[in-house]
Amino acid sequence: MAKLTIPAQELMYSGHAACPGCGPALAMRLLLKGLGPRTILSIPACCWTVIATPYPTTALGVAVLDNPIEATGASVSGLRAAADAMHLKDVEVVGFAGDGGTVDIGLQSLSGMLERRTNAIYVMYDNEAYMNTGVQRSGATPRGAWTTTTPVGEGVRGKPEPKKDVMAIVLAHRPAYAATLNPSFPEDFDRKVERARSIEGPRFFHIFAPCPPGWKFDSAETIALGRLATDSGIFPLYEVVDGRLRITRKTGELKPVTEYLAAQGRFRHLGAEDAARLQSEVRAEWDRLLRRERDDLSGSH
Amino acid sequence: MTMKVLSGNYAQSYAALLARAQVISAYPITPQTSIVEKIAEFVASGELDAQYVKVESEHSALQVCVSAAALGARTYTATSSQGLLLMHELLHWASGMRAPIVMGVVNRAVAPPWNIGADHADTMSQRDTGWVQFYAESNQEVLDTVLEAYRLAEHRDVRLPVMVTEDAFYLSHTVEPVDVPDPATVDAFLPRREPHAVLAPGRATRLGSFTGPDHYVDFRQDVGAAMERVREVLPRVEQEYLALVGRDLGGPLPTYRTEGADVILVTMGTLTTTARGVVDDLRAEGRKVGLAKLRVFRPFPDDELRGLVRDVARIGVVDRSFTFGRMGPAATEVSAALYTAANRPELTSFLAGIGGRDVTPHEVRRMFETLLSGEAPATHWEDIEEEVKADG
Amino acid sequence: MIEIRFHGRGGQGTVVASELLAQAAFLDGKIPQSFPFFGVERRGAPVTAFTRIDDRPIRLRTSITRPDVVVVLDPGLLRTTPVTEGLAPGGLLLVNTPRRAEELAAPPGVRRASVDATRIALAHGLGTAMLPIVNTAVLGALARATGVVTLEALGRAVEQFVPARPAENHRAARDGYLGVRNADPAAAAPVPATFAVPAPLAHPEGPVASVSSEVIHTAAWRTFTPVIHLDRCTKCNFCWKFCPDAAVELGADGFPRIRLEYCKGCGICAAECPPKTIEMVAEA
Repeated sequence: MAKLTIPAQELMYSGHAACPGCGPALAMRLLLKGLGPRTILSIPACCWTVIATPYPTTALGVAVLDNPIEATGASVSGLRAAADAMHLKDVEVVGFAGDGGTVDIGLQSLSGMLERRTNAIYVMYDNEAYMNTGVQRSGATPRGAWTTTTPVGEGVRGKPEPKKDVMAIVLAHRPAYAATLNPSFPEDFDRKVERARSIEGPRFFHIFAPCPPGWKFDSAETIALGRLATDSGIFPLYEVVDGRLRITRKTGELKPVTEYLAAQGRFRHLGAEDAARLQSEVRAEWDRLLRRERDDLSGSH
Repeated sequence: MTMKVLSGNYAQSYAALLARAQVISAYPITPQTSIVEKIAEFVASGELDAQYVKVESEHSALQVCVSAAALGARTYTATSSQGLLLMHELLHWASGMRAPIVMGVVNRAVAPPWNIGADHADTMSQRDTGWVQFYAESNQEVLDTVLEAYRLAEHRDVRLPVMVTEDAFYLSHTVEPVDVPDPATVDAFLPRREPHAVLAPGRATRLGSFTGPDHYVDFRQDVGAAMERVREVLPRVEQEYLALVGRDLGGPLPTYRTEGADVILVTMGTLTTTARGVVDDLRAEGRKVGLAKLRVFRPFPDDELRGLVRDVARIGVVDRSFTFGRMGPAATEVSAALYTAANRPELTSFLAGIGGRDVTPHEVRRMFETLLSGEAPATHWEDIEEEVKADG
Repeated sequence: MIEIRFHGRGGQGTVVASELLAQAAFLDGKIPQSFPFFGVERRGAPVTAFTRIDDRPIRLRTSITRPDVVVVLDPGLLRTTPVTEGLAPGGLLLVNTPRRAEELAAPPGVRRASVDATRIALAHGLGTAMLPIVNTAVLGALARATGVVTLEALGRAVEQFVPARPAENHRAARDGYLGVRNADPAAAAPVPATFAVPAPLAHPEGPVASVSSEVIHTAAWRTFTPVIHLDRCTKCNFCWKFCPDAAVELGADGFPRIRLEYCKGCGICAAECPPKTIEMVAEA
């Protein structure tokens, strides 16, 4: 048997209620493999509220607390405080929230948790819209994307505003660790979970989580689309430890963003101009990351 | 025991210290702030071994307590007015999660316009959130009630959050002698929390969850049944408190000179103290008046109230807030409780002391006289109408 | 009053079908009512929707538990969901399936009808092989089999209210109307008791959920089944690694095995398999 490249343990159970090909489901599965059974999860209203299946069943082999959509940061602070006060050993407190629950309604709570330097991991799984309520735009929806509240029609071309840069917001709080993760790269994903577990203090994961019904692509393509996102520079993989940034996947030349756009129905209406604009933004961001990595390595920031 | 001259707020702080709260979380708001400032001192000095989570909002403060309680920790928070309103969503989470949180609330008026005076609109508008509600009359009662509240909240048959309220400034910033029990005495009365139905790290356990119509009603009924059991558990808790600490808090509806009374005035919080003096004066004049203190608002003391009015002709209820489109909230509740009473006295809803107005003995006396006159209206804005008369 | 219950899977247009039927009935001058069962709606998950049609205002606002007609948009549900529950003698069971109506199991006295709506939908380019949008073809068949709405009204409702491709949907409705096959009431063909309904769950103490979700079988969500040709398998584990349902397990011999009671048929394992040894096969 080939050697397993990620942990064998399964702490996400089958029978869960995610759509076929669900990116957030795979994200949870890989995350718990790395975090292990002593994880305490706090989950706000999001797709995973439902995916985890109704009472009295649960699809998660760990302790899970539900919390209101805007309060995940506070909830992990509370869990951490109780774990410390009660001297619970070896527990890892983890908030697991969607993009809307993080960059929109939950931003204050996330900021509070980071500023308080709560010893916990905050995970934002990013399916780039309010998917649990049926695909409404969030602050994390990319420019041009169709959603039910950014329809496409005469003179309307999806969401007019660009995506909120959550990593920049998080890094402004100087977290102990922050990284971007993509389930299409399970080994890189797992290594970052391991790395984060070895560090104390506030830690943040931004996880790319494709949504077949919301993004309008075939459920078999979830992994391929994720690879395309990273290799075209739409979702670069990197980590920031003690303020030093390191890119964890480089493949020479970036793939053109047109391939990524063409793979999804939510971008079908976009034209060459839109693609060119995105291409130049992605290029600039990638160059910025490369520069920052170089500067951080030479210690000259 | 040690006598200290303490504010109502410090009485809350000392109670949290004596209860050995393990997780404290709060956000500043006038006139609550000195409660959590004092607790911060206790934690900083090492007197209280607790995690103190300073948060960016009241909403987060209560979330911290809900989450900490879910792991089995004993928690304390305090707030007032707008802060309590911001917590509204989490108040439901706390009771639904069966989290035995104890919270101090300084009753303060709700904006707009901004007003920091005593007013019960903040807690009255939270009466349906599944929290046990105590209204305190003195700083001593604040301290004693917080200690009782933990026993009650954590009791296996209850497992519900409890708020212990005190009137803004009339208690929060008023200093008076308070008998602070010894830590050993309190430890005997209030051992460490025994966690029931909490998250178990290392095991598949989900607290909160979601349900369809099949199970949801079970959860709601469970909260309701737990609230009903407070009626049986509270007297036992109070008996133990009396035995160990030596003070009797008198149950949910303590009375004063109600024997043979024709009319009874029901009061909450600090108004009660003023009314006691008025009752004494009127009794000295041979008027048959009595007083009942509505100490526990949830669960509502229906039986106690029905028993009390068996031979009473008229009852007045003083509310320090009012419900738009209805009378005072306590009067509404009293009226509902009396619907099935063998004797249904006439009822007047007195609205007084709104937004921090003083309610003087003179005004309380007038309330009694209105009731005794036999021509009491259904609703009476005590102080405002008098102001208008004085101006006119 | 006629009560119609629709059974489908998330993404097939089940709720839209119940609404289109209501719109068509209204165009026919009837008073309709239609609503979905609000549950856990996920793409592929079983979905229920209801339509009532009457000549007078409808005075019920409840789920339909004793339907006159049951419409099944996905034949896979026959194996996993008790779709005919409450269907009395004289009622009608209409199923989207390539099979003949006589082959359908139904309670005694229930009339049966079938229509190959999947074939019709795909012929008109509605949906994908993985997720065909069969609702309009099924409604055409329903119009013919029951007469609850006219084809003319149905056509107008489709043109006016379908979210996309009105012309294609209109043609699919017409083909469904023409393609419906009827059978006499079943003499005594009992419904096979093969439902994968989990045993009733105990109510554990307190509000803590602790029963593993593996008591829930999600096989019913599947349209295509992965079949692994082990002769060409290199044991690379990619199928295991990328499965969002944890429905691939590795045996002691290192070969993967699909846990079919949980596989939702997303197709990731087939797409990611480097030697392409996994084939997605349509469910019968």
